[in-house]
Parts: sequence; C-alpha cells; structure tokens
Amino acid sequence: MSELVIEASGLRKEFRTRQGLRVAVSDLDLAVPAGGVHGFLGPNGSGKTTTIRMLLGLAHATAGSMRLFGEPVPDRLPSVIGRVGAVVESPKFAPHFSGRQNLTLLARSIGAPSSRVDAAVETVGLTGRDRDRFKTYSLGMKQRLAIAATLLKDPALLILDEPTNGLDPAGIREIRDTIRSLGESGVTVLLSSHILAEVQQVCTSATIIGQGRMLASGRVDDLVGASTSYRVAVPDPEAARRVLDVAGFHLTDDLLVETDRPAEVTQALGAAGIWLSELTPVRRDLESVFLELTSGTEMGAEQ
Amino acid sequence: MIRLLGVELTRLRWRRAVLALLVLAIVVPALIAASRVWATRPVSQGELDQAARNGSSEIQDCVDHPRRYGVPAQDAEQRCTDMVVGWYTGREPLSLAGERVGGSGMAVVAVLTAFLLLAGTTFVGHDWNTGSMSNQLLFEARRGRVWWAKALAVTLASFVLAAAVSTAYWLTLWATMRARDLPMLDGALADSLAYGMRGAGFATAAALGGYALTMLFRSTVATVGVLFGVSIAGGIIIATLGIGEQWQPQKNVSAIVKNGTTYYAEVPDSCFMRAQEATEPEPNSECDQIRDLSLWHGLGYYGVALAATAGASVASFRRRDVP
Repeated sequence: MSELVIEASGLRKEFRTRQGLRVAVSDLDLAVPAGGVHGFLGPNGSGKTTTIRMLLGLAHATAGSMRLFGEPVPDRLPSVIGRVGAVVESPKFAPHFSGRQNLTLLARSIGAPSSRVDAAVETVGLTGRDRDRFKTYSLGMKQRLAIAATLLKDPALLILDEPTNGLDPAGIREIRDTIRSLGESGVTVLLSSHILAEVQQVCTSATIIGQGRMLASGRVDDLVGASTSYRVAVPDPEAARRVLDVAGFHLTDDLLVETDRPAEVTQALGAAGIWLSELTPVRRDLESVFLELTSGTEMGAEQ
Repeated sequence: MIRLLGVELTRLRWRRAVLALLVLAIVVPALIAASRVWATRPVSQGELDQAARNGSSEIQDCVDHPRRYGVPAQDAEQRCTDMVVGWYTGREPLSLAGERVGGSGMAVVAVLTAFLLLAGTTFVGHDWNTGSMSNQLLFEARRGRVWWAKALAVTLASFVLAAAVSTAYWLTLWATMRARDLPMLDGALADSLAYGMRGAGFATAAALGGYALTMLFRSTVATVGVLFGVSIAGGIIIATLGIGEQWQPQKNVSAIVKNGTTYYAEVPDSCFMRAQEATEPEPNSECDQIRDLSLWHGLGYYGVALAATAGASVASFRRRDVP
C-alpha cells in the first residue's frame, strides 16, 4: 500500500447549539494515498466540510486523530501546512483588495516571490483582471482566485471543497483538466464535490460519507464494481430471447443480459444465425453507488 | 515573525477604512491646534477700539463708580478701560501649562484614543467579517503568531502616528508662543512633549485593546457596542456602588496623561470633628479629602484591564474554531 498523505481515525466533531449537542462527524476514518485524485463524497450535511476544516486546523476535533504527511495534526500542522493548498467552501478574500493584492499578502506571508503570484494568476486565467477588486469578480473568478492562492505554495496536497461551484461549463472543464494534470504530476488532490460525474471522470479513488460516517472507500473502479450486465442489439429480439433461454441466459424486456460470460452470449446467438449489432457492458456509475449508500442520510448532520 | 509583521503592516496600509480613521486622527488634532492658535491670538488695536466702543457706557459707569467695580479710584479710567475691554475681547493668551492642565491637551488625547481604537477594531474586524481570517490561517497555522503579528502592527502604527501627532501639536503651540513673545516657564516644552507621549501611549493601548476585543468578539460592531456600554455604564455603576473616585476610568486616564492627578475622597465623620479644631489633615491621610492619584495607579488600572483583555483574546483565538 502506498504512503498515506491523509489519515484520520475515529474522527468526531460535536457542535453545541441551542437545540443541544449536534454531531457533525462521528467516528470517521479516512485514508488518502499519495498521488492521484481522491474524491470525497457525501450528501449535504454529511460532514465533508467539517472534516476538511478539522484537517486544516480551522476546527478542533472533539475526538479522534489525524495525520497529514504522517505528521499528527493539529499539533504539527505548522510544519506541514506549507505543503497543503486548500479551498474551503466559498472563496474568502478581502473584497476591497484586488485579486493581486490578496494573493500578494498571502504570498508574502510564506515568503514566496511575486513571480509566484504572476504564475498563479496566469495558471487560473485571471490575467488582465487581477488588478480589479475582488468584490467585482464573478463567482467563477472568485473560485479561480482561490485556486490561484493554493498554487502559491507549490503544494504536495491540494484540498478542494466544491472547486467548480459557479463556474461555467468551459471553466469546469478547465478546472477539471487542471485537477487531473495536478494528480498526474504527483500532487495528491482531495476533491470534495457534489458533481459525481465529475468525480468519476477525474478521481482514481474516493471516500463516500453519510451522517458523518464513512460508508465506502476505495478505488473508483472497485466502488462501481465490474460489469455484470450487457445490453444486446439484435434484429429479432424475440428470437434472440428464445435462443438465450435455451442457452441458460435471461434476456430482459430492456434487452439486458445478466452474465459474467459475455462471450458465450455472442457464441449462442451466432450459432443460431442471429448476428449481434451491439453488445454493450452496462456499468453502474458512481451516482448509483452514491445514491444506494447515502439514501436516507441527507440532512443527517450539521456541516 | 518579522515577515508576518510586514504583511500585517501592508494589510493595514491597504485597508481604506483604517486609513480614513488614521487620516482623521491627524486632521482633527490639527484642527484643534488651529482653533487654539486662533482663539488665543493677540488682540489687535482695531479689536481693542471696537471693544472700547461697545463697552463705553460700562467704562464710563466704572469710572464714575470705581468701588462698585472693585477698582481703585487712582488710575480708574485706565483700569476700568482695561477691565471692560478684557470682558469684551474675552481672550486668554496661549499657555502650554494651561493647555495641559485644563485645556486642549486632553481633547487631543481623547481624539487620538477614539480614532486609534476604532482603527484597531476595524483593521481586524474586516478579517472576521469577510471570512478571510481562515484563508490567512491556511498559510500561517500558528495562531499565536498571527495574533501577535497583527497586534504588533496595530501597536506600531498607532504609536508612531499618535506620537507624531502629539509632538506636532505641542510644537505648534510652542512655536506660536515663541512667535508671540509670550512668557514661558523653564521646561514647559519638555513637560508638554512628555504629556503628549503619555497621551500617545494611552491611545496606543486603546488601539491594542480595541484590536484584542475584536479578536475576542470577532465583530467590530460587538466591540464598539461593548465599549460604548462600558463607557456609559461603568462610571455610573462605580458611583452607584459607592466605589471610590480613584477607580473611575476618567480619573485614571488623567493620572496617566497628566503624570498624576487628584481625586475627591469620602472621609469618616470623625474627621469633621477634628476639622472644628482647625487642624489641617496630613496630605493623603484618612481625613484628607483631596488625595493624589499617581501615574502608576493609572498604569496599573488600565494595564490590568489590557492584559486581561489580551489574555482572553489570545486564548480564545487559539482555541475556538475559525469560520
């Protein structure tokens, strides 16, 4: 097993509210291996943002332990925070400062040269608007600035909480490509997102949580599972159904065959003179897995 | 730490609301200085003639009945004219000692204190209002360092500005007196500059206190509200509870800025019996109604308050979740 960049064990977070104690995260285990893009999925209120905030030292865990790059946090967070870039919830910058001023202050606080600001602005496509005030930015531009801020550190771990919120389709694609290329370049990315198709396209592994607990974790391919269903396209479905029944297969009204031996389907139909025009594996997608795991867990906890 | 301090000073310099307050902390004392210079200008011959004309009937009445006016009959005309003209021009000559004791000196300290306190609270209130504090902590996770860097920035900027304004204020009055050939006691300028420095120190402490309170309450509005409530209710509560005048906030400000002041103390009834024996009580004794309040008492009073506020603020910032 590869080195773990993020480890959390038995993580718990309680909030005191007027209604009493609310548990946002309960006994959560999280393991993110080095390299690649790791999806962090869960319905609203499942505790994703709270977990991220605890990892980054913005919120204190009620119980449990966390490690970043093998170092216990929050105790040793100052020694590793320089290798972590993060966007948590909506981008938060001084509205009366320009985007460049905001980045400059953050860069100076870590001793990064101003050339790093130029490079970050260019990477996220804000050149030309970087001297405008932050409050004049669209939501998409604000997201880009937040991502630019994460790049100031040249991070080994990038934690992105809904990074494509408010972006137009082209922007989403750009950010997705950026995330993918960062993952391929060796940066570990923890991507929290509601857009499951996006996660499936970009992520190599994922953790799904609900009501503050881990529901599933692993490689995306493993979570989705191997295909056991195939869609057939033939000129005469009734004839095909009869042939397949004799061969021990069942063809549904939707023309789906449940099997782990698709080659025998083509063989049986071909022997009967029925030529397939299509045999398509039908895989579960991440959305199906997510909905199965999280059904009934919405609004379970405060985020 | 030096790097963080530089960042916070830059942030402070770029924040327009803070800059506006700092500009006001320069402009208002300048206006007070100008008004004092104008209000104490020498009386011109034209003003004297006008005053003599306006008060001619009173001058004549005084000359006719000098005893009614407490004027000796000898030289009555000149004395009555000087007195009545003085009433009409009503202008005291400029005096550094006068400005320190009961004049504009405290007004300048009050103005600096108010604007610098607001600057301190506005500076960091903005970080909380916009949520950018969490972004800053993603780059520097040592919260204690962040607190101190911001505190140092507020303290440095406030003291440099307050000291410069105070010094400029007293130098302006001193130069005006010199230009008018007014008599001045030895060491008057040094005393005034020291007064200004103590005032600048107090205003700086207020800025730091405002900053610390805002880091505690995480809101400029809450800080200003609490300070307003304390300033209104504090004195009333102290008086209502019968706590001595030496614990009144204003008295302790005076003690700091004026390098000591006096306060009125309640004395036991037995002291009045002794008073009938016409013996003067020992200074600061149990029977002395006017007692000294030292600079050190004032420093202790506000020092403890500032230390308690700063301690609570640092502890809160280190422990509480940041939104």
